[in-house]
Amino acid sequence: MRLTVAASWVETPLHQLVADARLELGVLLHPTGQVLGQFGFARSVDVMTACALAAATHASSNELGRMLDGKPFGTVHYVGSTRQFFRATVPTKGTSLILFAVFDEESSLGLVQLFFQQFCEAVAELAPSPQAEPAALAENFESELNRNLAVMFGRA
Amino acid sequence: MSSPFTGLLGQLIRHRGVSGCLVVGERDGMIVEANLQIGVNGNAFAALSSSLYRKARRSALAAGFGEAGFFELTAEAGRVCAVGRNDLVLIVIAEPTVNVGLIRVEMLKAMELFA
Repeated sequence: MRLTVAASWVETPLHQLVADARLELGVLLHPTGQVLGQFGFARSVDVMTACALAAATHASSNELGRMLDGKPFGTVHYVGSTRQFFRATVPTKGTSLILFAVFDEESSLGLVQLFFQQFCEAVAELAPSPQAEPAALAENFESELNRNLAVMFGRA
Repeated sequence: MSSPFTGLLGQLIRHRGVSGCLVVGERDGMIVEANLQIGVNGNAFAALSSSLYRKARRSALAAGFGEAGFFELTAEAGRVCAVGRNDLVLIVIAEPTVNVGLIRVEMLKAMELFA
């Protein structure tokens, strides 16, 4: 399993989650679409696509949740014919992250949910404060994204 | 609200030494219905035990032994028993001193409900 990260504090909890929940591929990202870590992807363009789609579906399901339930939907689970995906909000100090993970019949939703809780606890403990690591601003979003992808795919 | 499994789980939990019993989806590891004593982490048990049962069942099939019957895990401080049919697994969590023979008979008899 190829796992690469743009922020070193993400590596241990993400590695643990992937191993325990037997995830096949996925990304951990800021709601802006900026990637923090990925596993299972071979090409940076696929990571970029996954991040953009995960951020977009996160934004739209948050809004749908607000309309229907008065609060954002925290988790989305989709079952395909052979694979399933699990997209959830990871609360951290001051902000939140998005985990988008794909798994097959080797795992199950129950297992993913179980180990995701442990992942959230580890991230909450390890994540730097928002002052220490400012979120990407709109004007430098693309360069930040490209920088992170370059770090993860060895082109930095 | 009661389901077809409420009576069954109520009977199983009354056995001496049984601390929890659950009906769980085999594929998703999610609880359909459970009857648990205080302190038993049902969600974690459901996810891990159903995964274990699924892998045991697949191992039996891969070895050419056919469908798995009764699954039992004996640990230092307890036992986990499971039987399954039609994507549902019936799991019983018990102390080591439980009468496994009796539990086994009841669990196998309960499979009629899963048909």
